[in-house]
Formats: sequence, structure tokens, C-alpha cells
Amino acid sequence: MTKPTITIKICCGTMCYIMGGAELHLLKEHLPAHIAPLVKIEGASCLGVCQDDNEDRPPCVMINDELIPNATIQKIITHITKQL
Amino acid sequence: MTYYNNAIFTKRELLVRILKLLKKDSLLEEIDRIPLEMRPRTKAPIRCCVHKDRAVIKYKIMALLGYNISDEEDELTPLREYAAEALLQEKITGNFLTVVDEACSSCVKVNYTVSNLCQGCEGRSCQVNCPKDAIQIINGKAFIDHQKCVNCGLCQKACPFHAIAYLPVPCEESCPVNAISKNEYGVEEIDFDKCIHCGKCMNSCPFGAINEKSQILHIYKQIQTKTPTIALVAPAVLGQFKAEAGKILNAISKLGFADVIEVAQGADITTQHETAEWKEKMEAGETFMTTSCCPAYTELTQKHIKGLIPHVSHTPSPMVFTADVAREKYPNAKLVFIGPCLAKRKEAFLNKSVDYVMTAEELGAFFAVEGIDVTQNEALASSAAITPEGRGFAASGGVTAAIESILPEGTNFKAFMVNGLSKKTIKLLKTFPIRPPKANFVEVMACEGGCISGPGIIAPSQMGQANLRKAIDELKEKAIV
Repeated sequence: MTKPTITIKICCGTMCYIMGGAELHLLKEHLPAHIAPLVKIEGASCLGVCQDDNEDRPPCVMINDELIPNATIQKIITHITKQL
Repeated sequence: MTYYNNAIFTKRELLVRILKLLKKDSLLEEIDRIPLEMRPRTKAPIRCCVHKDRAVIKYKIMALLGYNISDEEDELTPLREYAAEALLQEKITGNFLTVVDEACSSCVKVNYTVSNLCQGCEGRSCQVNCPKDAIQIINGKAFIDHQKCVNCGLCQKACPFHAIAYLPVPCEESCPVNAISKNEYGVEEIDFDKCIHCGKCMNSCPFGAINEKSQILHIYKQIQTKTPTIALVAPAVLGQFKAEAGKILNAISKLGFADVIEVAQGADITTQHETAEWKEKMEAGETFMTTSCCPAYTELTQKHIKGLIPHVSHTPSPMVFTADVAREKYPNAKLVFIGPCLAKRKEAFLNKSVDYVMTAEELGAFFAVEGIDVTQNEALASSAAITPEGRGFAASGGVTAAIESILPEGTNFKAFMVNGLSKKTIKLLKTFPIRPPKANFVEVMACEGGCISGPGIIAPSQMGQANLRKAIDELKEKAIV
């Protein structure tokens, strides 16, 4: 069996959660079959994006070590595909 | 079902910003900056220009402060003045939806349009079949005369090239009772003689033009006072976060509530009364009884299906019973109902059972501002005995299941479910006073899926359902132990 090579941390902070992060928790069901076994999904406590006054908006996720702000399920899948 | 869209996030961001300012105690100083901060010159405007975007934000804030947009007398009145006045008022008044006319894009008057797929054919079946002579051919292409078109849709059906498109007006389409329509300026207006506060228009408008009047300001202020404030938490709220029920309840108490009472407790009382009432009615020879806990449905019967009123149960809603429990325990306290529902605002306004109503969405904003992570917190043990069926009220079929659970086996109880109010299901309900349904108990939920899919939720329905199921199963496991 192939080992997961990509770790996705979904921010579980409340700000991310209300700004669309709730939807991201359904990610597993949306992953294409050939990608799903390579991905490990974890929850993370607040990644801090919402605290800064910068352009980055919640919800955010970490794909391996890369922070993805303004995340959507589609955006995450595109990123994973690029890294494979 | 509502899909996520940026208009929903704008509203949530506004809730967070207002609460943040309240927390900083600088609401009056900074509230007029919110439109500028959210729509800076450096960003591409969403509408025609940044000034329009800012005006829209301003009016949306007005709604969140509890005002009707039509309350505006002078366009120059800054938000600061509205906020100052709102802080002095105890409560908001009247209708709970308001249209931000600046935001309403005045969607099409005529729902059909000829696209560039039109081949200008010889057949011209669109023109031949139009009963109002509304189609002209200009430069070899069909055009619809808006003065003559009556939206019958025959041209669309007749066109063999599928060149005629149907353009919906989302709010009008979603309203199950035709309560929203354009005024003489082409801007949508809600007819409150018809509106049942189901909240469907609010979530369907892609411009976010229809806003609920919020009480967050009043609730925030109330929590700060010395009078104890009690939270009454609807079971649907337990499905909104990825955490067990006890953790969610504890997180709510951390906001400063003196006590947190589950509305499932009142639901259990509703079940007892509703079952007794149903038995009585059946013994008296009545053909059927409907539920009464969905306030949008009861408003529907009062405004649109008067013939159903005698069949609606007289049993008070779980919110009312829970409020009774709370008032007995804390006679001087103020009560805040927290749920997913817009119609509850109206119900509470009419029956005065609770003092304030807050949605799960607003609760989420409170958590975000107070930095409370629902998942990272101790679970609060529920103080009262609550049945799994009481929590089950939040999903369609829940009331039926609760009544069935206490009826003796072999009772002739036949339930029918109206899962979501739409033009179609309302048509069916209208037939019931004349031709009674085959069932003798009718459960009606305005939202498809039940309260868990209400207009004020945060979690996607599918996730909400799963989380609620967990909250129900928690209690079942407890019962076995």
C-alpha cells in the first residue's frame, strides 16, 4: 500500500470555521479516488491567519508546509494535484 | 439547500467586526470605518464602484444593528448615530427582514431572454407560438418585447436550438408564498402580510440584498449587565460544530451566560403534550392533527391556509416550554434563544417567551471574537434529563419519532411528513382541509431536512445532520450505561 505523502491540516479555529471552513471538513469525500490514499487529513488549532491584518482571508489549510488562505475544496485538490 | 457564497461571508464578517468593536468598547468611534476597511480603494469593486460597495456595507450594518433600511430618514446619518441609538433601546421592533435597496440588483423583469445561439431560422417557432405577439425579429435574430412578454415560457419550449434561456429572480423563485416582488423602481419589496419568515429569500439572493435584523448588539450588552442571562440552546445548534454536545454547551456558557439550558428539555415536554392532544383529538373524531413547533409553518396557516388552523396542534413549541423552565428557575433573568431559525425571531416577538433570539451563525461570530475554540474545551455535563428524541426535534421526522416513542404499541398512528415548504408542498397542504390526508398526524417543517438546515446555520446540512446524529447517539449510549 502507498503511504500518504501529503498532509493536510485544516484549521479548526472558529473564525475559519464560520468563514467557510466548515465545508472543508467534507474534503475527504471530495478527493478523487487516485489521490485519496496519498493524503492524510488532520485538524489543526488556529493557524493565526485571522489574527493578522493582511490580505490573507480565512478559511485556511496547510498542505505539507505551505499555507493556503481563502481555501476551498477545489483549491485544495488543485494544489495536491500539482504536488504529486 | 444553500450553497456557500461570498454574500453569506460578508454578513459573517460584518457580525465579527461589529462584535469585535463592542469588545474593544470602540463601536461608536470605529463603526463608520467598517465599510472603508472592508471595501478599500485598492481592491477591484464588486459592484459598479467602491462607493456603491461601501453604501451596501453600511446598510447591511444597519440591519445587523436592528434597523429597517426604510427607517433611514437622512442619508447623511452616520452608523455611529444608529449604533448609539440602538445601544439605548431594549429591543428591536416589527418585521425581521429588510431589503437593502442599494444591494438589490433589480434582477430581470422578464424571465426569458434570447441568447446568441439564435439562428434566425425560417421556422421562427418562438414567434409563431408566442400568445402575446412579444417576439420581433431584428437583424435576423429574435428579440423579446418586455412590455408584452408575460413569462409564459412557450418560446423557450418551442425553440429547437435551445436558444432562449430562462433567467430566474432568485428571491422570488425561492419564496414559497409569493411575498416578495418588485416595487415601482424595480427593487424587491417584502409584503409582510404574506411573509412567513422562512428565510429562503435571504439565503437565495446572490447580492445579499435581503438581510435579517439582528439583536447581537442587544445580546452583547445584556450579557455585560448584572442581570443573569440564560442561553436556551436549540438541538440544531449541537449539529453546527465538530464537537460533542457538552463541549458546545460549555463554550456557550463561556460567553458569559449564567446558565445554558437545552431546548431539547422543552421538546420532551412538547412531546408529552402533543401526544396527549393528538389522542384527545382522535377520540373526538377529528381526522388529523398537524405539528405546531415550526413557527414558519404556523405563520403559513394563519396567513395563507386558514382552513388548516383548527388542525394545528395547540401545544406550545419547545422554545416556549424551555423558557417556562428557565423562568421558574431564574425569575429575574433575561432569556436568549439560540437556534438556526429566522421565524423564531417572529415567534419570540409575538409570544414574548424569550427576550432575545440569536442564530447559530451569530453564535459562531461570538465564538470567533471571544477566541473560543469549541473543540478545545471541557465538556459540560447536562444538568437535566434529556431524551435522545428531544434532541431529534431538529431533524425532519424527529417530532414524529418522539411521539411514536411514547405511544403504546398498536396505536393507530399514521404520520405524514411535509419536509420543507415550497410552492408545491403548500399546494398539497391547501388540499388537506377539504380532502384530509390518509395519515392522522402531519409533521410540517419549513426547511427541508428540518431545523438543522435552517437559514441561520453554519455547518453544511450534510455535516449538520451527521453531528446531530452523534449528539443524539451520545444520549442513547448514556441510557444504556
